[in-house]
This record gives sequence, structure tokens and C-alpha cells, in this order.
Amino acid sequence: MSEESLLGRLYKDGEIIVEEGIQSRSMYVIQSGKAKVVKSDEDGETILALLGEGDIFGEMSLFDAIPRSATVKAAGNTRVLAIEHEGLLKRIKMDPTLAFRIIRQMSQRIRDLNTRLIFAQETINHANNKLLQLNKTENVCIKDRETKLSHIVTQLQEKLHKLTEQFIQGDETLQ
Amino acid sequence: MARIKGSTLTNGARVAIIGGGPAGSFFSIFASKLARDIGRAIDFTIYEKKTFTNHGASGCNMCAGVVSESLVQTLAIEGVNLPSSVVRWGIESYFFHTQNGSVQIKSSRLQQRGIATIFRGGGPAGSSEQGVQSFDEFLLQKAVEQGAYVKHAFVDEVRLEGDKPILFSGGKILQDCDLLVGAFGVKAGTGRMYEKLGIGYKIPSTIKATQSEIELGSDWIASRFGHSIHIFLLHIPGIKFVSIIPKGDYITISMLGKKTDVEHIKTFLSHPVMKKMLPSGFKIPERFCHCFPKIIVGAARKPFANKLAFVGDASSVRLYKDGIGSAYITSKAAAYTALLHGVGEEDFRKHYLPVCKTLNRDNLFGQFLFSVNALISIVSPVNRSYFKLIQWEQKNLQKDTPNSDILWDMLTGSRFYKDIFFRTLNPWPTIYVLGAMVISSFRKVFFPHMRK
Repeated sequence: MSEESLLGRLYKDGEIIVEEGIQSRSMYVIQSGKAKVVKSDEDGETILALLGEGDIFGEMSLFDAIPRSATVKAAGNTRVLAIEHEGLLKRIKMDPTLAFRIIRQMSQRIRDLNTRLIFAQETINHANNKLLQLNKTENVCIKDRETKLSHIVTQLQEKLHKLTEQFIQGDETLQ
Repeated sequence: MARIKGSTLTNGARVAIIGGGPAGSFFSIFASKLARDIGRAIDFTIYEKKTFTNHGASGCNMCAGVVSESLVQTLAIEGVNLPSSVVRWGIESYFFHTQNGSVQIKSSRLQQRGIATIFRGGGPAGSSEQGVQSFDEFLLQKAVEQGAYVKHAFVDEVRLEGDKPILFSGGKILQDCDLLVGAFGVKAGTGRMYEKLGIGYKIPSTIKATQSEIELGSDWIASRFGHSIHIFLLHIPGIKFVSIIPKGDYITISMLGKKTDVEHIKTFLSHPVMKKMLPSGFKIPERFCHCFPKIIVGAARKPFANKLAFVGDASSVRLYKDGIGSAYITSKAAAYTALLHGVGEEDFRKHYLPVCKTLNRDNLFGQFLFSVNALISIVSPVNRSYFKLIQWEQKNLQKDTPNSDILWDMLTGSRFYKDIFFRTLNPWPTIYVLGAMVISSFRKVFFPHMRK
């Protein structure tokens, strides 16, 4: 594959394509490689989504002018085509059907979020019920087990992070 | 079972598309997708006699082979990413070469290689470059993926029986259809076949261009031409405009002028400005791939009829720019009209014609802009001042660069001409150019020995 024959811009592994909190209005389409959508806080970085070839991101900036809600980083070498905001809006004005795929992808993201929300809600409910049951039947005081539970949650988070990283790197040893 | 209800295509309807170039493929891609989305089983057959994998003229739909910035972006949004086998070179800037020097023009909006150069066929005659995929073949395969059939046959006769189009090849019936889509490009012979149907269709007017492919090797091209398309305005007799488009091991020389031929190509390659761009000791090959394609400079008259629609070059295109982008616009509009509204003459008049009219009206602004540009390039003092203005803007890209942006949009076809026209109404560039001309004349008269 000749470097000259490629479109867009190449980002190296870990390089930031879009930065959380920064205001910009371009949208992006991944030409080759992968990118991860991450959100940072004082506890570190949480991976929100993994994007692949053909995926669109940054589309929310089409509809609002507020700073980016998350950071997108290259996961390995990633080639990305930027879509200029003003030109796109003018093309959509002439051909509104051009927005169909963007809307379809946003709609898919809402579905995914709903599924994850329901799953998170169910997990919390399940955990609540279990803890109440434990409290009732065995008279276990949760306060006493707080340190152990916290340790288990940390271990789980670390394992999840490792698995995600392996997935991103396409590690075949992933079980 | 009826394949058509009123003017609406229903299950089992048959659509024939004449021509498997970008316009035919785009129509098939969008119409097939939409038919599936609205739950209709419609048969789409594309008739194309060329094999786009062939090298040279037999596999090529002859054009300069540039996919504009806006079309690259639009296709990416539509889910069509151009693969590296199709893209011969990613372009990030334009170079202007005049007698007064050269200037590079970059986009002030996006810093990326956003324009693609492509081969319409399998590559130049005699090329041994491996891994090259024709752009037209790539799109045709996309149409096949969406469910279209491709028949390698030449439709040499079309008859209307009642209002049903019937296709013939060599006197034999190929098929009848419920909608016939003319996507035959600039082929005048085929176009006249439809003119004779008496439906009011008239092919667009054309001018002749000259294209040639010269092998220089990708290393040389990368070092001398970079990721830029080079425009030459050199006042060579008979030549109005030359552009050089890098494509892997080859450069495409695209020339406009009065009856340009191979001799004009040779004259251009021997010009001192161009010679500097060629390897030392470069000799013009005795034989090289070249052609004289037609370029559309007008619009077709009535590009639709009952159960008939014409798209791409056979309909309306943007003046001098983005022919493939125009094929995308007209084909998609015709596909949506046929599937969502109907295939009757009134359906096309109401929903397809306005899109063609938008392109045609925009070309009037384009004509004006190109005339002004030609005037600037002819009148030397204006040319020099304008050139300096652009040079200054390109050295100060962090500031506003309105004139460079106008030139960029005209060269790339990224914006409609109407949009560019209204931006040219800013009086400051005119004041600057006139002021620079007065100062230059003053210097010449009173300080003739002063260095420029």
C-alpha cells in the first residue's frame, strides 16, 4: 500500500484526533484502522466505544457548537478523513438524504446506550436485592465488607481495561 | 402482475441503465438501496460494453480523473470509502505556475489529503503498475453488491412501444423496461439515438480536451510534484490551460485550448517552466497513452420523459469541475424521484428537473467567474498584483485568506459557483489589486532601475 495513495490524515497509536472540552466543528470518517472514544476523570480513562473503518464520529458538532463531549484517540495507526462542517451543512441543505447515514448511526448509538443503561440498571437492582437478602438472612453488615467489595470492584475494572486493550490491539490470545 | 401502478414502480418492475460509468453506478446504488428500504423487489440491469479492467482507451471513460474534495467527503458519509487500490494519489494543495512565478494554494479549512486522483480504467496503455483498480470498476462492483446486474452488451437501438421502452442490440430484443436511465456520458452517437425518439431530449454541448499519460515514476513525482495538482497558465499559442495530475507512476496532462493535439502536448513538455519539473535528459516518448475526450459545457434539454431519465454527463454537469460529483447529484436525485414519487414525466419534472436547474443556474455564475479569471490571467499588471496578493495570503495562512479560499473553491469545485460569486463581491481585493498596479506603474516611470 503506497502512502501517497491514501486520503485523509494518519494518526499514530494513542494520538488524539478529537479532544474532550475543545470546541471544533469537523466531523470524521475512519478510512482505515481503529479509534477509541474515551472519557477521562480523576480515576483515569474509561473507554466508551471502539470505532472501526467507515465509522463516523464527531457528528454531534453538526447540531451544536458546544465543546467535544469525549476524546477520540487512534488505536494503532489510524487514517481519518475530516469532513468540513460548513460545506457539509450546505450539501445537506441541497440533499437532505445525505444526513440519513449520520442519523442512522446516531440512532444506533441511542439504541446501544439504552441497552447499556438497562443492563446497568438491572445490575444495580440485582446487586441491591442480593445485598438486602444477605442483610436479612445472614445478618451481614455491608459496612464490614466495604474494603473487600471495593478491592473486588477495582480488580474487575483492571481486568476489563486489560481485555479492552487486548481487543483494540487485535490480540489473538484474547479468550 | 402489473410491474407499475400509476407511475410507481412496484414489485417485479424492471429498470434498465444504459452505461456503467459513475452516473449509471450511482443511480443503481441509490435506487437499489432505496428499493430495499421501502420493501420493493425491483430488477436493475446495467448495460456496459466496456471492461474497465482493461488498460488504455478500451477500458477507460476518459477524463482528468480527479475526485473532488466535496465528493470524497460525501462518499465517505454515504459509506463509500475509496480504497488505496483506487486512489492513485492523495492531493492536499494546488500549484499555480505563470510567467511571473509559482504559488502553492492550500485549503485554510482542512489540513489533509482530501482530493483523490484516480484512473477511470485499468491504467494507461502499456502500464505495468500492479494493484491498480479502476474507479469505474470499483463503483460498478458497489452497484453489483447492492443487487444490480451488469450485462456486457451494447444497446444500439431503443424503441418506445406505447410508453414502454424496449432495448435492442444488433436487431435482437434485449429487454423491455418500466424505466430507462440514460447514463451514457458524452457519447454523441448514443445521445442522438434518444433525440430521435421525439421526446424533446437534446444532448448537451461539448468542447474537446486533450489528455495524456506520461510515466515519470512515483519517486520523481513525489519529489517534484508533491501532493499537488499543478495548473499552468503559460500563454503558449493554442493552449488556454494545462493541469498536471499526479497518479502513482504517471502524471496526467489535461489540456484545454483551440484544437489541441499531440503537438501541443510536446510543445508544453518542452516549455522551460515545465522542463524544470521533468527529470534531466527526459525525452518525450514516441508513443504515450493519450485521448481527446469531450467536456460538457452546456446542459441537456429536457433530460426526462415518461419512463425515461438521463443522468450524469447526459443531463447536467458543473462547468469544468467535478463531473463525477455532478453524476452523483443527478443520479441520486433521479433514483429518489423514481422510487419515491414515480417514473412519469410529471414526476421527473416536479422532483428531478429542479436539481438539474440548480446545477445549470449555478453554471451561469461559474461562467462569469471563469471569464473574470481568464481576464486576470491575460492582463499582465492585474495578473502580477493578484498573484502577489495570493502569495501574501499563503505566507500568512493563520490570518484570513479570502482570495485564496475563492481560488481553492474554484479549482477544487468544493463550493457552488453562486456561493463563490457572492464572496468575490468584497471590494478590498479589487482596491488592493488596482492600488498595487498604480504603485507598480509609478515605480516603473520614476524609478526604472529600482529592483522589484
